[in-house]
Amino acid sequence: MSTHQRLKAPMGLLIDREKTISFEFEGATVTGQAGDTLASALAANGHWLLSRSFKYHRPRGPLTMAGQDANTLIQLPDEPNVLADRKAAAAGLQVSGQNYSGSLRDDKDARLDWFGRFMPVGFYYRTFFRPLGSWKYWEKLIRRKAGLGRVNLEVRPDYCDKVYRFHDVVVVGAGPAGLQAALTAADGGADVLLVDENPLAGGALSYHRFDSEGNLADSVRTRLIDDVKAHPRIELLLNATCNGWFLDNYLPVIQGNRMYKVRARECILATGSFEQLVVFRNNDLPGIMLCSAAQRLMKWYGIAPGQRAVVLTGNDDGYHTALDLQDQGVTVQAIVDLRPAAEAADIRHIATEKGLTVLSGSTVYEALADRKRQHLRQVDVRAITGRGTVADTSRLIDCDLLCMGSGYMPAYQLACQAGARLDYREERAEFSLTGLPPHLHLAGSVNGIHDLDTVLADGRRAAGSVLQSLGLSDAVAEAVTCSRRVNVDWPIFPHPRGKDFVDLDEDLQSKDLVNATKLGYRDIQLVKRFSTVGMGPSQGRHSALPTARLVAAATDRTVSETGVTTARPPFVPERLEVLAGRGFDPYRRTAMHHRHVELGARMVPAGVWQRPSYYGLADRRDACIHAESEQVRQRVGLIDVSTLGGIEVRGPDAAEFINRVYTFGFLKQPIGRTRYAIYTNEQGVVIDDGVACRIAENHFYVTATTTGVDRVYRDMLKWNAQWRLDIDIANVTSAFAAVNLAGPLSRQILARLCDDLDLSAEGFPYLAYREGTVAGIPARLLRVGFVGELGYEIHVPALYGEALWDAFMSAGEPEELRPFGVETQRLLRLEKGHIIIGQDTDGMSHPGELSLDWAINRKKPFFLGSRSVDIVMARPQTRRLVGFTLPAGTPKPEEGHLVLRGDHISGHVTSCEYSPTVGSIIGLAYVGTDQAEPGQTVHIRVDGGSEVTATVCTLPFFDPDNKRQEL
Amino acid sequence: MSDPTSMLPDQHPRRSLAWRVWAASTQSLAVKSEGLVVQQAGENDSAMAERCGLIDLTVLERTGFRGRQAAEHLESLDLPVPDAPNRAAVGTQGETVLRLSARELWVLSAAEDDGQHVRRMANQPLPTKDCYALYCQHSHAWLVLAGRYRAAVMAKLCGVDLRESAFPVGHIAQTSVARSNAIVVHHQWGRQPVFSLFCDSASADYLWEALLDAMAEFEGGPVGLAALV
Repeated sequence: MSTHQRLKAPMGLLIDREKTISFEFEGATVTGQAGDTLASALAANGHWLLSRSFKYHRPRGPLTMAGQDANTLIQLPDEPNVLADRKAAAAGLQVSGQNYSGSLRDDKDARLDWFGRFMPVGFYYRTFFRPLGSWKYWEKLIRRKAGLGRVNLEVRPDYCDKVYRFHDVVVVGAGPAGLQAALTAADGGADVLLVDENPLAGGALSYHRFDSEGNLADSVRTRLIDDVKAHPRIELLLNATCNGWFLDNYLPVIQGNRMYKVRARECILATGSFEQLVVFRNNDLPGIMLCSAAQRLMKWYGIAPGQRAVVLTGNDDGYHTALDLQDQGVTVQAIVDLRPAAEAADIRHIATEKGLTVLSGSTVYEALADRKRQHLRQVDVRAITGRGTVADTSRLIDCDLLCMGSGYMPAYQLACQAGARLDYREERAEFSLTGLPPHLHLAGSVNGIHDLDTVLADGRRAAGSVLQSLGLSDAVAEAVTCSRRVNVDWPIFPHPRGKDFVDLDEDLQSKDLVNATKLGYRDIQLVKRFSTVGMGPSQGRHSALPTARLVAAATDRTVSETGVTTARPPFVPERLEVLAGRGFDPYRRTAMHHRHVELGARMVPAGVWQRPSYYGLADRRDACIHAESEQVRQRVGLIDVSTLGGIEVRGPDAAEFINRVYTFGFLKQPIGRTRYAIYTNEQGVVIDDGVACRIAENHFYVTATTTGVDRVYRDMLKWNAQWRLDIDIANVTSAFAAVNLAGPLSRQILARLCDDLDLSAEGFPYLAYREGTVAGIPARLLRVGFVGELGYEIHVPALYGEALWDAFMSAGEPEELRPFGVETQRLLRLEKGHIIIGQDTDGMSHPGELSLDWAINRKKPFFLGSRSVDIVMARPQTRRLVGFTLPAGTPKPEEGHLVLRGDHISGHVTSCEYSPTVGSIIGLAYVGTDQAEPGQTVHIRVDGGSEVTATVCTLPFFDPDNKRQEL
Repeated sequence: MSDPTSMLPDQHPRRSLAWRVWAASTQSLAVKSEGLVVQQAGENDSAMAERCGLIDLTVLERTGFRGRQAAEHLESLDLPVPDAPNRAAVGTQGETVLRLSARELWVLSAAEDDGQHVRRMANQPLPTKDCYALYCQHSHAWLVLAGRYRAAVMAKLCGVDLRESAFPVGHIAQTSVARSNAIVVHHQWGRQPVFSLFCDSASADYLWEALLDAMAEFEGGPVGLAALV
């Protein structure tokens, strides 16, 4: 493609004329200037066809040049539905059109346009449901044709992140009202963030003409921007979209790959307004665009939007567009003014003085395409005879550009998200916003103010209100009014042959909306859902107003009564990767974590912790676990149990508190002894367990499960807030690292590192608690028997944890000390019949089902859940947790496999492993109470649906007299 | 077991749980409180610390007390007690006293000493009732973020406004940093104001990595003690 001549400066505010860039579009190389968007670079090369419409595959070109419409959606290799008038042109980009069959220029699916009359709104709903079952066929076809771009499922997300910001005032929109509001607020002492979605500040000042001479906008813009940039209390964020409004002015502002999460004490919406299209036949042809789009092409990118132009307008702004076009050498064939001549006498006079032809009280009734049906060739202009009707006499005007504008719709989305209402002011044919929440303000054209002077005054007024609200000013801001009318009340001219589009995103014609009302969908929300109006990428920016007018007329209501559909975030489409941001996934590692990794441990998550499952290769899991198990049973093993919860209870009422929380009796627990502690909730369900160590008269150290400790700690705080016992409760889980040294040889290894304690069976018996030093590290030692062997749990301050591990691994070399993992520990405890809370219990497990009656002190008056425990245990029981065995070689049940009673389910397996020590498969399962007697058999359904017959047995499976752990 | 002259962290008994993430790229280490801290991380430590620098001071001494008598206990040790929760004050020996609640106070060792004052303090007998020693030396890691971009770095990780205007020196925020619980203290430590971050000691390397990631934009990185003291 060849590069067309750009307009001379000061046109082309955004482009760098010295720097060219090239990219590929549809396989051809396109050259543009740095600062171009893809759409502007293509336009500069005379390429106006950008996309195909959603339903009829009609050719589409730039409409707004502001990223506010679906006409410019294009495909990038890794991203579909990119707005070509927003996406900056960059060297080497591979760009293509989307939603076509064949090529963008020669789309075979464009023939759907011919059959439009057979595909009215609601066509899918009413056609493809019969004959019964036909939807399965149609669905495939429709899904293949529906949708726009192609998603690349292989793409890796970019690095995106989020940043919190806090400001006194956030001004959304850096147009004249926003710039002025920011300046006034900052001058008053407020810290201001000014955001704008465009790459340059100024809003309409950067492209619009505010006077017939064309000087005013630039001078005002330059002054405001210079002042803003020089102001120490204003930060200006460009290319930044405020994409929603959330309670208390919580504003997501997206800039590139970053989302700012902004908290604003006060927020001013100076979001401007959307220019509105005129509804006539073929109003979607490339070459037809909004007046503001043509002005943006010239002022921002230095591109003449056409050679011969017609301007169709409903206000004075169209005349300014015509003057701009004329100034840039575009032949303006005519200004077609929707208003009667009397309403535009002044501006009409100026235009005619400049030699422009004005056709008042007229409209374009139909646009005619060129031979290839891909660009505007001619317009059919007719006199308006009534609301939506025209004279029979037509005047054909040759042109390749039609600039249109029937008025403005406030950019209401953010305000409505905040709870504002849209009311239609009949006398101005315009929606206005009311009912804003406190600390949210409007300024400028979003507030129905259109003259530049009053826009600036409205910015000052909004800032004045903000300063007053912030306590920085006592002055009461005076209201600003604007008498200028910018909207025509009925810019809709239905054509008998249709294609008079109201919603270009969804290819909806005026008759589609009227027909929806005839089918009974009178409410605007139902019209939206039936017709899909406003559901496309532009979210009703240009269709909401004509839809409200059409539905109001069709249902004999006012436009206010009809309203518009609900505006919800986001304001513009946003990428999921930006919403996700940089993922934060906290994890916790014990002090010994890296030693496990160095020793080849397979790490598994345990809550947010990572624990060694076993040590060795994954494909040798069972062998590794069995070897580790044998090591503990025959010699000695070491396991990291730092993740166990730890809670300290200190104070005069410590024993009373522990006694109330746990089921056992603790008031008389001797100092230097440990005791098993079960925690039941108010429903009598066992939700945690641990060991309570009495360190001193008024000092308990209680362990809890890895994943349960936070809840137990929280509950303890809650209960003592009621009980008000004189204690201090501290969660010390992270303060201690701990290991369990287990096995018949453990005492002799410990003796090598600990010389200040009597480690003999008599001096440090089973279930005793001692404090001493291990490898010179102050330590708490517990003689416990979770795995059923002589063993010591050694707790040390966390920063010494790795040193403790190192000391044991070194001291244990003569005994060939080996580490063992959680899976091995689970097998060892299963052999002893010890339950794991959460694995062998569920949300219904009470102590009776778990055979933990022995751990409940019936003599004390109270413990948490005591009343419920009594109630649930007094009821007829339906299940019980029992041990079972299966011969080695039998298909091994897995956790969750069902226990059957005939055809009925009576329970399920909670733990199951092959035990090399026992020589058979062993497990725990809930079974019916009538199946729980030792020696009974139960049927378990295993993988594949087959059943195995297990024998219920007495627990434990190993060392029933507990002699090994009490050595 | 330990060799006090060794410059390998795992030859010292007291180790930060995050030592591996900073030890490999460190130029020199210094022995502090039975462990090692980074003395110099790289050639540009000073410039880095002025921009944004991060150091792990977990092994340095600190202690804490909780209970109705905790404030009186600290006053009896001639330490200043901030008059409100979430405030910090500096003692005459350079120790920083953190008031985390009406009844919970921590004491951080001074930048200039080896923690001997705090160690001595921790060994003082406690009041007979209503004052309990805390385990903050081991329950929490101590990371220090220095430099003029420290608030901007934290804005990427934390939803609290930590700019100087809202969070001046002497203020404390107990909040979430990178979705992990943390205590953020704005205080003078050594030559400059810093953010001290106290997180779960088991999450130290997680938070270290999260901070470094956030600092990359500001060309920040690990620094040594020499750049701060």
